[in-house]
Amino acid sequence: MHGSDLRFQVHNLTRVEGEGSLHLLVRDGAVAEARLEIFEAPRYFEALVVGRSPDEVLDIVARICGICPVAYQMSAVHAFEDLFGVEVEPATHALRRLLYCGEWIESHALHIYLLHAPDFLGYPSAVDMARDHRELVAGGLRLKQAGNRIVATLGGRAIHPVSVRVGGWSKLPRRADLLALRPALEEALELARATVHTVAELPAPPFEREPRLVALHHPQEYPMNRGRIASSDGLALAPQAWGEAFHEVQVPWSNALQSRGADGLPYLLGPAARVVLDHEQLHPLAREALAETGALESIRRNPYRSIVARAVELVHATAEALDIIAAYEPPDAPAVAWESRAGTAAWATEAPRGLLFHRYAVGDDGLVAAATIVPPTAQNQAAIEADVATFAPRVLDQPMDVATHTLEQLIRSYDPCISCATHFLDLSVERQPQEDAS
Amino acid sequence: MTVPPPTVRLLVCGSADRGDDGAALAAVARVLPALDEHVRQRLEIRRCEQLDVTDLVDIPRGTACLILDTVVGVEPGEVVTLSLPELAAHSRGVSPRSSHALPIDQVLGIAEALRGALPDGRFIGLGGHWFGFGSVRSRAVRLAMPAYQCAVREGIVALAAVPVG
Repeated sequence: MHGSDLRFQVHNLTRVEGEGSLHLLVRDGAVAEARLEIFEAPRYFEALVVGRSPDEVLDIVARICGICPVAYQMSAVHAFEDLFGVEVEPATHALRRLLYCGEWIESHALHIYLLHAPDFLGYPSAVDMARDHRELVAGGLRLKQAGNRIVATLGGRAIHPVSVRVGGWSKLPRRADLLALRPALEEALELARATVHTVAELPAPPFEREPRLVALHHPQEYPMNRGRIASSDGLALAPQAWGEAFHEVQVPWSNALQSRGADGLPYLLGPAARVVLDHEQLHPLAREALAETGALESIRRNPYRSIVARAVELVHATAEALDIIAAYEPPDAPAVAWESRAGTAAWATEAPRGLLFHRYAVGDDGLVAAATIVPPTAQNQAAIEADVATFAPRVLDQPMDVATHTLEQLIRSYDPCISCATHFLDLSVERQPQEDAS
Repeated sequence: MTVPPPTVRLLVCGSADRGDDGAALAAVARVLPALDEHVRQRLEIRRCEQLDVTDLVDIPRGTACLILDTVVGVEPGEVVTLSLPELAAHSRGVSPRSSHALPIDQVLGIAEALRGALPDGRFIGLGGHWFGFGSVRSRAVRLAMPAYQCAVREGIVALAAVPVG
């Protein structure tokens, strides 16, 4: 070890999905190294789907995550349908957005109320926060439950849904099934609007940077299932073409592949990227809620403000869910017919944590021959490391526990899902004191 | 005849198509038909792929809960019975296999904070080994199913018979 090294280590990052750690090496007062260490074992899903039919793949990839299974199903089903030339009915597209709304609601409510809010309110855990803020936490749980009910109604069950099929659905919901969701969603919409105001008032540590933001963009709808891959520096790619602008790289401290742009630089995905790049496509109620906060610019520049973006998306998802339910007319059949075709199936959709890219090689036998799955947390790793390296010097003079907490809070701002990425967190910061000038 | 309100909420966790994770579901499927009618009438049964805070928060006074799940942290095939505080403390290294969104201690802790107290009840787990795709369970779990079913039946009968709170 270098004589002036100061190592700053948080071994177990809490309130993130999965297991991993952050290691920070500070040398001569400057951050020499920031490593998001993902040591959770690889899960081999890309190998598990080899030799499987497209519909089997949809059920298997849903098992990658208990929080965002819908996202995995959506990227996969759109990839296959694009390759096979399948045109689904407008009602099927609307139902898939409704399913995605359910997942965004349950995922965002979980993160805002149980994982991230304790940081801002000064509690070590959601349990401690719940003792003092019962109504707040109870409201968050009702929001989450409203999302779970959507997924259960459409997907057959709240976790790892099973009804998505190439061409449509294995079973369509009845209109009455969806109408039964309205009371909970109407309450959820009011809770979501109140959430925006609550989190917009939370004090965020002062940190500004200029991130490269990436998200889908569609002129007519807030990005979920379709659109071009857009960035804050002007990128506009087809959803199949992720590989033209981004690539995966392996680093020795992570079992999850990182991703970088063609220039080798990191980029950021997720609610903040979506709200900044796609705010004009937000539901009018969400756009109104965002405007009332005046937080658009701070969402772009300060990662701690991502909680506001997440809350705005809660409003969007609940409001759009209600609109879809009001307009729902069941399609004539659960699914349209399709025929397999050999080739490369690729697509990107917007998971709660950001853009999720899938690519499958489909053989003449109709089975998957190779697969590439690029989850948002894996893509965000490099951006998280860059932000930690930039922000850390501002807290190094603070007591160790304060500095550690502030850095953990920063990492939680990205809502990392380590289980998805390796499918990870544990923070270690290593300070190396200034070298004796003599 | 007026059916008495349930006095036991049975929370059956796991997925039938994820190997040993389906053990609790399988056990309940065997145990329920063999219960006396008056015991069955006192049960409210919820299937929970993951135990959620909302499954515990609204348990009324006078109603107990029995949580069933496959666990890790013990030998495959071992049957473990814990109080809910013991479960929250990960006593004996037991950790339910089905929890993902929040760790079990957080689920129970938030429920306790919101209710003012944990509900009365207990947890009966079965040590699992294989959690891969499909409904096939490991040999250790298959061999232990009679003992697990017996523990589940005894747990239901005991909680249904004892007025709580």
